[in-house]
Amino acid sequence: MIRILVRYSVLFVLTLLVLTALSFVLAYLFPGDVLVNLSGITPENEVQRDALVRQYRLDQSYLIQFWHYLQQLMNGNWGYSFTSGLPLREEVGLALPATIEISTYAMLMALFIGLPVGYYAGIRSYSLSDRTINSVSLISYSVPVFWLALVLILFFSLELGVAPLSGRISLMFDIPSVTGFILIDILLSEHIDHGLALRDALHHLLLPTLAIGTITTAAMIRITRRSVIDVLQKPYIAAARARGLSRPQIFVRHVMRNASLPILPLMAIQITTLITNAMIVETLFSWPGIGNWLIQAIYQRDYPALRIGMLAVSTLVISLTILVDMFNRMLDPGRERFERGAI
Amino acid sequence: MARFSLYDEEFHPSPWQQTWQEFRASHIALVGLFVLLMFIIFSVFAPWLVPYDPLEQNVDGLLIPPSWQLNGTVSHLFGTDALGRDLFSRIIYGCRVTLGSSFILVILAMLVGVSIGAIAGIMSGVRSSILNHLLDALMAIPTLLIAIIIVAILGTGLVNSMWAITLALIPQFIHHTRTFVRNEMKKEYVLASRLDGASNFQLFFNSILPNMIELLVVQGTLALSIAVLDVSALGFLNLGAQPPLPELGAILADGLDVAYIAPWNVALPGLTIFLMVLSINVVGDGLRSALRKRVSH
Repeated sequence: MIRILVRYSVLFVLTLLVLTALSFVLAYLFPGDVLVNLSGITPENEVQRDALVRQYRLDQSYLIQFWHYLQQLMNGNWGYSFTSGLPLREEVGLALPATIEISTYAMLMALFIGLPVGYYAGIRSYSLSDRTINSVSLISYSVPVFWLALVLILFFSLELGVAPLSGRISLMFDIPSVTGFILIDILLSEHIDHGLALRDALHHLLLPTLAIGTITTAAMIRITRRSVIDVLQKPYIAAARARGLSRPQIFVRHVMRNASLPILPLMAIQITTLITNAMIVETLFSWPGIGNWLIQAIYQRDYPALRIGMLAVSTLVISLTILVDMFNRMLDPGRERFERGAI
Repeated sequence: MARFSLYDEEFHPSPWQQTWQEFRASHIALVGLFVLLMFIIFSVFAPWLVPYDPLEQNVDGLLIPPSWQLNGTVSHLFGTDALGRDLFSRIIYGCRVTLGSSFILVILAMLVGVSIGAIAGIMSGVRSSILNHLLDALMAIPTLLIAIIIVAILGTGLVNSMWAITLALIPQFIHHTRTFVRNEMKKEYVLASRLDGASNFQLFFNSILPNMIELLVVQGTLALSIAVLDVSALGFLNLGAQPPLPELGAILADGLDVAYIAPWNVALPGLTIFLMVLSINVVGDGLRSALRKRVSH
C-alpha cells in the first residue's frame, strides 16, 4: 500500500515538474517578448523593464530562471492577463471551478444512468433490448458535441423556450463567489431567495450538462456492458449456475463487483474526453469556465493566460487520472499494470 | 454457413476470410461499411462529383433552401449558404478535407506510435519504466489544449491542427503496441525465433507485427473517429481550417451566423460529421466483434 502511494506520488511530482517546465518553455516559444509572456506586464520604459528583468531573473541562466519561476508559481504569483490586466491566479480560480462543476454533473449523469443501463444491457446481452441500448449508445457516442449543443440550443432554447441560452445564472441574482461552485455558492449567500436562485441555476445547468453528459453516458454504457459480458463468460459464473444460484443471486454476488473493476481505469481515459467536451460546450453556452476562458485567450493572443491556463487544465486532468489509476491499483493489486481495454 | 463436418469441408478460410465472414453476418456493420465507402468515394472523387465550385460565390442565390423544401430548387440540392455557395458541393469537399486529413494523421500517428511502442515493449528496465509512466501521464492532456498551444506558437491552419491531433493520438498507439509487444515477447513462438538467432528487429517485423495488424486496424478505426471529431471541432472553434476552406466543422461555424433563418446550414454539415463518425464507429464495432467471435470459435 505505502509502496503504491510513494510510487504514484513520485510519478505525480515528476509529471507536474515536466508540465511546469513545459509551461516555462512556452514563454520562450510563444511569439513576442519573453518578459511580457512571463509576467503579462508590458514595461513602459527602460527602468521598469530592467526592474522586471531582475525580478524574473531573466539576466541569469535558464536553470535559475526556471527555479525562480517554480517559486513564483508556488507563491501564487502567476503573472497578469494581457487583456483584463487582472492577476491570472484570480481568473483561473474563478474559471476552473465552473468547469469542474459542470464536468462533475455530467459524470454523475453518466454514473446514475450509464451504470444501471450498462448492467442491464450486459445481462440481457444480444437480446432485443440490449441491441436497442447498444445502438442508441453507439449513436450518441458518435454525435459531435458542438453540434449536439447547437441542436439542443435550437430546440430547447429557441423553439420551446424552456431553457436559457447562455450563462450560469440570471443577472438578477448577485452571488458572491466563495467556492466557485454555483450551487454551493447560492446556499452560502445571504439576502436572496434560495429556492428561486437554485431553480434558475439548475435551468442554466440543464442544457450544457445534457450535451456533455450524453457522450460520457454513452461511453459508460458501452464500457459497462462489455465488462459485464466478459464476466458472464468466466468459468466461475458457470460454476455458480451449476450450484443452482438464481440469476439475481449470481448478479449480486458475482457479476456486479467483478464487472465494476475494469470500469474504473476506462473511466480514467474518459476524463480527458469529458474535459475536452466541457471546454467546447462552454464556448457555446458562454459558460464562464476554463475552456471558454482559454479559447477567448487564444483569440486575443493572450500568451500569459495561455501559459497558465495550459498548466491549470493539464494539472487538473493529470491529477484526476493519476488519482483514479492509483485508486484502481489499490482496489485491485493483482491486475496487470498497464492493462487497458477498448470501449 | 453451417459446418456439420469439419473434415468434409473443402474450403479452409484464412483468418482474414473468417473475419470477413463474421463481419458480413452483421447487417448493421455491413450498412456502416457501405456508408463509409460512400464517404471515401465522395472524398476521392470530389472534383468530378460536385456540381459547382465549392468556393464560387453567387450573389443572385443567397440562402436558397434545400431542394426538398417548397422554395428550394433542384439545381442546389442542399441549398446555398449566406454567400450563395452551393452547400452540397461544399459538404462533398468538406468530406474530402475532413476525412482525408483524418486518414493522413491517423496513419502518421500509427507509424510513430507503433515504432516507439515497439521499442518500449522490447526494452525493459528503468528507461522503459520512465518512458511508460511519463507517456501514461501525458496521454491525459486533452487534444484541445495541445491544439491551443500549437496554434499559439505556429498560428491557425488545418495543418497545424493536424499536428496537434497527431500528437494527441500517438500515446494511444504507443500504449497498445507496448502492451501487445510485451505480452507477445513471453510467448513460445517468439522464443523459438529468438533461439534461431533472430535479432530484436527481425523478431518485431517477422513475428510480432503480422499478429498485430488486427489490433492496429481496430485501433485505427477508433483513432479515425476521434480524429474526425477533433478536426471538425477545431475547425468549428476557428482554430483549425480557416473559413474559405471547406472543412465540415468550419462550414458549420459559418452557418452559425444564419442559423435562425437558414437552419440547414447548421443541420446538414453536422449531420454529415455525425454520419461519418457513426459509420466509422459501426465498422470498428463490427470489426471488433467479428475478431472476438473468430477467436472464441
